[in-house]
Amino acid sequence: MLLSVAALILIVPSLLDALYLRVFISSVIFTIAATGTAVLYARLGLVSLAQVALVGVGGWVTLRMWHATGLPFEVNMLAGAIISGVVGMLIGLPALRMRGLFLALITLMGAAGFQILVTGTQFPNGGDGVLGIAVTSIFMPRPLLGESDEAMLRYVCVVAVLCFLLVEFNRRTRPGRAWALIRKSEACAMASGVNVAFYKAWGFALAGFIAGIAGALLAGTLGVLDATTFPASESILLFALTVVGGAYHWLGLVLTGLLFRAAPAVLNDIGVNGHLAYVIFGAGLLHALITAPTGIAGQILDGLTQLAKRRAGR
Amino acid sequence: MIEIRDVSVSFGGVRALTNLTVNLADPVVGIIGPNGAGKTTLLNVFSGFVTPGWGSICAFDTDLLAMRPHQRARWGLRRSFQTEQVVDDLSVADNVRAMLDSLPVTSRSERERQIEKALTYVHLEGKADELGSALNTYERRMVELAKTLVGSPKIVLLDEPGAGLRDEEVDALRQTILGINEQFGAMTLLIDHDVEMIAATCISTVVLDFGELLAFGPTAEILKDDRVKAAYLGIEEAE
Ligand SMILES: Nc1ncnc2c1ncn2[C@@H]1O[C@H](COP(=O)(O)OP(=O)(O)OP(=O)(O)O)[C@@H](O)[C@H]1O
Ligand SMILES: [Mg+2]
Repeated sequence: MLLSVAALILIVPSLLDALYLRVFISSVIFTIAATGTAVLYARLGLVSLAQVALVGVGGWVTLRMWHATGLPFEVNMLAGAIISGVVGMLIGLPALRMRGLFLALITLMGAAGFQILVTGTQFPNGGDGVLGIAVTSIFMPRPLLGESDEAMLRYVCVVAVLCFLLVEFNRRTRPGRAWALIRKSEACAMASGVNVAFYKAWGFALAGFIAGIAGALLAGTLGVLDATTFPASESILLFALTVVGGAYHWLGLVLTGLLFRAAPAVLNDIGVNGHLAYVIFGAGLLHALITAPTGIAGQILDGLTQLAKRRAGR
Repeated sequence: MIEIRDVSVSFGGVRALTNLTVNLADPVVGIIGPNGAGKTTLLNVFSGFVTPGWGSICAFDTDLLAMRPHQRARWGLRRSFQTEQVVDDLSVADNVRAMLDSLPVTSRSERERQIEKALTYVHLEGKADELGSALNTYERRMVELAKTLVGSPKIVLLDEPGAGLRDEEVDALRQTILGINEQFGAMTLLIDHDVEMIAATCISTVVLDFGELLAFGPTAEILKDDRVKAAYLGIEEAE
């Protein structure tokens, strides 16, 4: 499994042209972001609509760190992820008391708040002071291992795999078992001695941490960031596409990233207006909500198991 | 020894428990009463899901109501629910392990030993690696029971563990409940509508009716009591 993924990561980037390299880099970055959304949705049954804003937080901190210290990219990325994790946990605090629609609205307000802040101040680009805004932008250099687009695509893929493994590790150990009980019922979790508030906060922190990684990678790829990339509406779209792609399996999250970034580009490339993608997303969401709660990935995997069974039956 | 003093609970206008005062000391104590009598509410007061308007519960010299729900679990309070709560996408062993995660059991080998002991006790040792979703009703009830037995339980609260089970399964459940005190050292409070089950397992029994203590004493005597028959058994027969 890991081997075939490694082979894909090695081969595919060398086959793509310049446009698609960039499209795939940002697809993978948003696959990473969706991985965080999926932790909350699939493991805890919580809806968070602030994930893209948290990507922005991670990007902001990464840029700010680099302009201030010039430390290696990976250090700045870690700082961005940690701060983003803390912010994610703060946005999630209301979740200790609310769920469903009210929680979704609170997180959306968090996302809108970030949008307003960052539209007013923009991202750091080498200036003085805390905000670090300069008239002419200084670009943050790519990470050493990702200087060409081809190398950068491999770099983000490797980080994506590490993020999947981080989530999987959590799922299989103590936090994962606690999340499972909380999802079953909070009363059951409390009766089992689970500190419900702590493990919910842990889920939000992990989702925010991963969003921060995605933000750092976005900043690392582009060198500068722009407030228009992080409106609250993008957070809603990313959540919706996570449901469409499938939050319960990594394949679904790969699909989410592709739908989010590659689908509009492909449509543009074949001469169709990229906004048509939204119509397709809408149809996909209806489909997911009505017939496929585990998303497209769930359907594909079910299909494969059916096929395997039929083969074995013969 | 559990001392329940003056416990009263009301939900809006409904009085679910009224000035309940009783001392429980036997290894297995039954709680019976007609539907809506307040049995589950009493367990919820133990667990901390319902805060009584009045009263106290002192268990083995500890003020139970002063602790938060998850702290009570760490202290040694265990419960199963009227609707079972086995998690479908965790293995049987992980369902039990989830319980131990939050308890002050130090070493890893001790945890594994306790999981194995509990699963063997409920005869699920062969199914440790199966997913919760693969279990039948009886096995699910048994997983719930196993969960209550790890981590040195002091009090085990069982809310109708026999609901929906077939006769031979109820027999097995009865044997399992009878051995808890000897094997795990815990005191058991058992809610059940099955009078035979109560008669066979509980040394003393609490009878609730409309939130009030109707009777308390040795099970055999209680079940012969005319008021109990009128309030509870009569209704059972009529059903
Ligand atoms: N959370 C709640 N909110 C409002 N009323 C409640 C609540 N929980 C219980 N009640 C009421 O309190 C009374 C006692 O309910 P309880 O569930 O304790 O009964 P029970 O003895 O467990 O009955 P059963 O045998 O049907 O399980 C009932 O009238 C019930 O409607
Ligand atoms: Mg009940």
